[in-house]
Amino acid sequence: MSILITPETKVIVQGITGKEGAKATKAMLDYHTNVVCGVTPNKGGQEVEEKPVFNTVKEAVEYTDLMDSGFRQNDTPHWDSTIQKKLVSAIYVPPFAAKAAILEAIDNHIPLINVIVERIPIQDTAYCLAAAKEKNIHLIGPSSLGFIAPGIGRVGVVGGPLVNEIFQPGTVGIISRSGGMTNELSWQVRQAGLGQSTAVHGGGDLLMGMAYADLLRLFEKDEQTKAVIIFGEHGGSYEFEIAEIIKNKEYTKPLAIYIGGKFAKLLPEGMNIGHAGAIVERGKGALEKEIALAAVGVKIAEHYEDLVELIKPFA
Amino acid sequence: MNLYEFEGKTLFKKYGIAIPRGVLVRRGDNFALKYNELGIKDVVVKAQILSGKRGKNNGIKFCSNADEVNEACGDLFSSPICGQYVAAVLIEEKLAIVEEYYLSIVYDTNKKQPMMLYATQGGINIEDVAEDRIEKVWLDVRLNTIASTTVRSGAPRNESIESVQKALWNCFLSEDARMVEINPLVKTTGGNWYAADAKIAIDEDAFYRHEDWKALEPRTMLGRPPTEREIAVKKIDEGENYYRGTAGKYIEMDGDIAILFSGGGASIANMDALIKTGLQPANYSEYSGNPPREKVYALAKIVLSKPNLRGLWIAGGVANFTNVGETFQGIVDALDEVKPRYPIVVRRAGPFETEGMTLMQACAERNNLNIQLFGKETSMSETAQVLANMILP
Repeated sequence: MSILITPETKVIVQGITGKEGAKATKAMLDYHTNVVCGVTPNKGGQEVEEKPVFNTVKEAVEYTDLMDSGFRQNDTPHWDSTIQKKLVSAIYVPPFAAKAAILEAIDNHIPLINVIVERIPIQDTAYCLAAAKEKNIHLIGPSSLGFIAPGIGRVGVVGGPLVNEIFQPGTVGIISRSGGMTNELSWQVRQAGLGQSTAVHGGGDLLMGMAYADLLRLFEKDEQTKAVIIFGEHGGSYEFEIAEIIKNKEYTKPLAIYIGGKFAKLLPEGMNIGHAGAIVERGKGALEKEIALAAVGVKIAEHYEDLVELIKPFA
Repeated sequence: MNLYEFEGKTLFKKYGIAIPRGVLVRRGDNFALKYNELGIKDVVVKAQILSGKRGKNNGIKFCSNADEVNEACGDLFSSPICGQYVAAVLIEEKLAIVEEYYLSIVYDTNKKQPMMLYATQGGINIEDVAEDRIEKVWLDVRLNTIASTTVRSGAPRNESIESVQKALWNCFLSEDARMVEINPLVKTTGGNWYAADAKIAIDEDAFYRHEDWKALEPRTMLGRPPTEREIAVKKIDEGENYYRGTAGKYIEMDGDIAILFSGGGASIANMDALIKTGLQPANYSEYSGNPPREKVYALAKIVLSKPNLRGLWIAGGVANFTNVGETFQGIVDALDEVKPRYPIVVRRAGPFETEGMTLMQACAERNNLNIQLFGKETSMSETAQVLANMILP
């Protein structure tokens, strides 16, 4: 198995008629992912990659229901037993339209939303995350290029056109705050003769939808995954949550992490360098994160290239 | 982006939070004249900096006449405080304080919602206040109201504080703040509450709904005014297409290795890798999200304009959707103009990587560049070492 995506997953693309939305639609279809349709207000009736475009998410969901009425009985996905449909919305809209688009997906009960949009105001993200939480809806992102389960499918553009050179089915789970590094780590795994179970780009914003701990809990339950590698960063506090779930034994598989931004300790507190969420905070930097994680048995990589070597014996 | 105290106080005032009377002075102003115009005898003279604890670092002085003010201002402007450039000095009435409290709102990234911190101890670092003396209330950005936070273990309600809290929450939401802090929030002998200090960080991604932010002066937290290059790079991402690929990130540093990184994550990993080889960056810069050729060209041109460079490292991971051909065309445009004589190392892969590398190779040949090109077979850190070997004796 894999996490977040299965052969039955269906994808709706919000903003499908835009340049990046259309590109992503093609990238997903090329990787045999079931993109059912798209949404762009006032462009209903058009087609992108031969997929119908609707004006609203409501219409798109109705169309999706119609398409998959054949095999939906007792079909509960593994990431949350209350979720009745393996439906994902991938959102490609400008940042100032993101809040409305995400809320529309939430209002229509889409259980998993991948937000690719970069530079969404933090308050808008907080608003959407609060609304999603009430309905037990999960967000990957914002600023997330998506996720991929090799051989099964991808949501978003992870892997780009080189996807088959970089990804092959395997036992290593990958989580990264960085899109480029999701690919880069996956490539290191492939070069070592291994494959990936699922690779997730969580996004580099201050507020993350599903963070490391949420994803590690899914990897824990996933039989295919034998070990996980993570690309972490100096900013934010999500890395500390990993230590907590290891202490609680919610995550017990081998884990290796690289935390970038050690040089940032020389910068003044409050300064932002790298991703939007990478803000320098005293006592919460790359070094402190390494210490907290090493204390609970996480393997620490000095260079990101060392991650694969650290988990190879377990994979 | 962090605001200066005087900017934060202007916002507080807008939301009905009382602030002391004061006057702002800049380098070259007649400090004594400004003080006399203010017409208050006992004043606090405060350096305006973007980060750091001024109280413990001689950034705050108390004065009672024009000569003292003149000397204090001269003093504060003479050197950085807490490593921060002193952009201005605020001369304010000295309040007769009877109580000092603490109040702030920040995003709790774990709970993914704002958190209000309130303590009846203020004027000191909140980290130094005992955990059980800090009241924490998590707030919902979907609501503009907040529950009472001053009631704890039988203490009477403090309605004055509650109205400040409401005003601060209103300020946080309306101004798209990432954090707001009043420390200390003081009660005077007259029984009134004032924000004696103001710390606000705004969320720059919300700029499109804050026309007034355009008027904020350029700033950096690096202990000096922003350089011409930093100001110029910031403009690259401005305009209608600001979110269509970014190339507007540049921080000028003391080293001599020019940096053109792609990807937010790769960029910080590569900064660490470069420093480990013994090389020192002349700058930090990063482009990502598939920016057009013109944006990358503009960034590269400025990166290469720094004098006394000894090397250039162009590095990024395996791109997902950034077009390596188009972005490299932007870099090549700049290399064709500058024709650097120092060693250059390139490491990049992703969409249109063959086109990108071919462009780079042709540029190297026609300009006789000392360059080495690497694809995904060689890791980024390894190529940092290649550059170090080309440069270091």
